[in-house]
Amino acid sequence: MPAQIVSLVVNGRSQEFIARPGSTLLGSLRDSLGLMAAKRGCAQGSCGTCTVLLDGAPVPSCLVAVETVDGRSVRTLEGVARDGRLDEVQSAFIDGFATQCGFCTAGMIMVAEALLDRDRDPSRADVVEAISGNVCRCTGYEPIVAAILEAARRRRDRAPGAAPAAAGAAPAAAGSTG
Amino acid sequence: MITAVRVPASVDAAVDLAARGGWIMGGGTIVMPQVNTGAVGDIELISLRRAGLGGIQPDGGSVRIGAATTLAEVGEHAELGFLAAAVHAIAAPSIRNLATVGGNLFAPQPYGDFAACLLALDATVGIAGPAGPRQCPVDELFRTGPAAGELVTSVTVPLPPAGAWFFHKAMRRKLNSAAIVAVAAVVRTDGGVVTAARIALGGVAPRPVRAFAAERSLTGRPLDRAAVAAAGQAAQADIDPADDAYASAWYRRRVLPVHLRRALLADPPIG
Repeated sequence: MPAQIVSLVVNGRSQEFIARPGSTLLGSLRDSLGLMAAKRGCAQGSCGTCTVLLDGAPVPSCLVAVETVDGRSVRTLEGVARDGRLDEVQSAFIDGFATQCGFCTAGMIMVAEALLDRDRDPSRADVVEAISGNVCRCTGYEPIVAAILEAARRRRDRAPGAAPAAAGAAPAAAGSTG
Repeated sequence: MITAVRVPASVDAAVDLAARGGWIMGGGTIVMPQVNTGAVGDIELISLRRAGLGGIQPDGGSVRIGAATTLAEVGEHAELGFLAAAVHAIAAPSIRNLATVGGNLFAPQPYGDFAACLLALDATVGIAGPAGPRQCPVDELFRTGPAAGELVTSVTVPLPPAGAWFFHKAMRRKLNSAAIVAVAAVVRTDGGVVTAARIALGGVAPRPVRAFAAERSLTGRPLDRAAVAAAGQAAQADIDPADDAYASAWYRRRVLPVHLRRALLADPPIG
């Protein structure tokens, strides 16, 4: 029983492709579906450049035998921008020079999206733990951490029904640190 | 090369497949790096992802954890809050979203910190196989390994008394790094005197080991600096460390007493 047909919902769209045994989710996204944002880095799960969201949770896609996630939903960097508009994480990465060569960026953005989806106001320590599986050789990490915290702030500021500042206090000035 | 990837929908189906040979795979964090090298021979993979081995159920004074439960799920479960620090010391969040409790039992040293925790906790392992289901203490599983065609289906953890659980992992980095030395311990005290101790060490032997000599040294003594120092010296007899990229055997021996002290006395680490 060699190849199998695998179905995935990728960035909200149903996809089907043929997978040979030994195919990883990473290989399927890149080679079968043409989604190149997730990168081949170490093939060991150590570098994080292949990180995608599997049912909302970040995973190293190079370690997922694709047959084992048949029918599940996957989100990649290609699914982050909406109608061609970059989201807060993408914008903050650009504004904060949090990307240089770009090789780690897809994985970094995906773990940031997962973090902010479950925590609107992460601490610096939360951000550091969230990216602890993602290696960057260029930035020294600080711009990435700052960009993720900034993205969280922008998203909180834009969210309808965002919690107001304490009663009677002036709204926090833009750019103030948390 | 991989000849097929099977995803059985039940434990019985998994046991039938395992009887034909093939690699059992939990989260894939140990198996897939090997597959990705392309250097494996013709082998089938048997994924346990859909075999119904998930779930965390309190069971009296114990908690039963399905073997396919991920480390992330363990780290977030209310009944297992005492293990959260240990879980967060393992790898990184994305790895923990895949890695399973069952798979960690077979992680090669210096990995396998959760297995060291289970050894200290005197966990019982549920096993399924051609001869039917059985239970065995985790100590025994580490000594003998599973029989041919067997697979781990669950781990049952007795909850330690409040204040009796200790864990400290020495790493090269603050996050996402293997153990130089990992100390997991259940130490029961009465009036400050140690009445019983189960200490498991990771990173210092071919598999997680009980520090029997250290346990004997501590029992009956107050849990203080002098007793823990003596236990740290006694523990030298319990270990058989190796050199690897993280630390040399010499270094592991040298710092074991320090990390035993940091685990049991909550000495603040430097920096």
